[in-house]
Amino acid sequence: MKGLITRNLRLFFASKSGIFFSLMGALISFVLYLVFLKQMMTQNWQSVPDSKNLLDLWLMGGTLTVTAITTTGNALGLMVKDRESNRLADLILTDQSYLKIHSAYLLSAWLVGIIMQLAMYLIMQAYFMIQDGIGFESSILLPLLVVMIFSSLIWSVFNMLLFSFVKKVDTLGKISTIIGTASGFFAGVYMPIGNLPNFAKWLMKLTPVPYDSAIFRQVMMKNQLNDSFKNAPTEIITKFKTEMGIVIGQNFNNDLKFMGLALVILAILVIILYRYNQRVVVNKV
Amino acid sequence: MLLTVKDLTKKFNHKIVVNNINLSINQGDLVAFLGPNGAGKSTTINMLTGIIPPTTGIIKLDGLQPSSTQYHQKIGVVFQNSVLDNELTVKENLLSRQKMYRNSVDKLDDWIDKFALQSILNQKYGVLSGGQKRRVDIVRALIHDPELLFLDEPTTGLDIQTRKLIWKVLSDLRKETKLTIVLTTHYLEEAELADFVYVIDHGQVIAADTVNNLKQNFAQDVLTIYPSDMMKISQILSDYKYQIDGQQVAIFVQQYQAIDLLNKLKPVINSFEYRRGNMDDIFLNLTGKGVE
Repeated sequence: MKGLITRNLRLFFASKSGIFFSLMGALISFVLYLVFLKQMMTQNWQSVPDSKNLLDLWLMGGTLTVTAITTTGNALGLMVKDRESNRLADLILTDQSYLKIHSAYLLSAWLVGIIMQLAMYLIMQAYFMIQDGIGFESSILLPLLVVMIFSSLIWSVFNMLLFSFVKKVDTLGKISTIIGTASGFFAGVYMPIGNLPNFAKWLMKLTPVPYDSAIFRQVMMKNQLNDSFKNAPTEIITKFKTEMGIVIGQNFNNDLKFMGLALVILAILVIILYRYNQRVVVNKV
Repeated sequence: MLLTVKDLTKKFNHKIVVNNINLSINQGDLVAFLGPNGAGKSTTINMLTGIIPPTTGIIKLDGLQPSSTQYHQKIGVVFQNSVLDNELTVKENLLSRQKMYRNSVDKLDDWIDKFALQSILNQKYGVLSGGQKRRVDIVRALIHDPELLFLDEPTTGLDIQTRKLIWKVLSDLRKETKLTIVLTTHYLEEAELADFVYVIDHGQVIAADTVNNLKQNFAQDVLTIYPSDMMKISQILSDYKYQIDGQQVAIFVQQYQAIDLLNKLKPVINSFEYRRGNMDDIFLNLTGKGVE
């Protein structure tokens, strides 16, 4: 399986344009924020001290979620490409079982997601350090890494489920476009969740996306929130947190539980569909 | 018997693509599946390699079934289309495939040498020419030292030098290692190299025999003459089977009789041609149509 994972990773990182386009969703949210969202939101939260720093971290949290969704999706695109080009048949002819081939796609996507989130984090952190002078907090690095690993896993499983029966690269491209666009909205980076109508809020909360953003934001913004809202009453803090999508399900633990549940459901669906998928994907002329 | 196939049938949405095929292939043989496009050759190969399951029928290789991993270890496949990764170099491709086999035999350098890949080893597979790609594909198929090599139209679209190189190396291999080769082709000259030929049309085996027997039964040697005196010709040819076509006469006669006959005809002909019966005649006689 090591051979397969090495191959998959090599193929992902061999294509510079592939890497760039897998980050497209994340870059759009980053650039949109820099161009006008930042100014708009800083004005809204003028009363909060250091609101700029707070919002920078907020943006980073959402963008990392988008990164996890799109880069794991892009890495799993290889699975569809292998199906269409008949490379899958060639891989099946080796000693690797279909289960191993399938798991290798998942594991490589997981790794790709972690690496790309780290890269995106470093880019944004460096930018905001230079531009806005935000601090570098080494204490959040470990928890942040854990969240990245978790978030990359859940989106790898999600994308695997999504691509289960996709056999054409053309279809893959269409799905990726939809996912890439939608992920920014669902992660609440184009617009804070509090600004949306109730139906949209309800719809977003049915997916794991805003919870993932919330977990990222809670980990990254924790210290800055404590600083900025040092003397503020609790209801102001809660209002800020709910409006901005820093907490979705009342508290951190609930958000985490929801993500865990989503992972279990997605994983079960992948396993249930696995046999059927093997038959559909392999049995072709 | 290395590979036995009984009553193999494949249906796709009620359309019968392969219809009740029986095969028995001996160790060390070169066996050709000859047939036009869409005859069911590739589908048959895909079933023999275990990529698609047959609708009905039994495939046994040394007692093993296509679904088992040991079966995979014994076969190598060169697909019609390239199946290696364009973005990786030749070397990376070959090494990554080698790692996917448990009992990989380290003959890679040997293969690289034989198929003259040394100079393109560090080039990306995607930028190679058709012939170069095909050579790499064959090395990939041999990487785990299989007993049986399937080649699905291995030389389609290749130049004559590459074809020759591929055939030379493959025939050397057969001598050295008793490698069994099954290939599909619609090139008749390639089928002529085979020990045994299955002629396939509309999913069925319509003839299965050695090249020599097929030639004897379905192809005729033809002596074509351009007579100067048509009148005298018919007297000399009274004992022979012949056809007059305008200014030329086609006589169906064996090689040695042809020499005697030509001596008799010498004074009354301007020129002549002698053509041995070939696979084209066989195919034409069997199916009533030529190979596309």
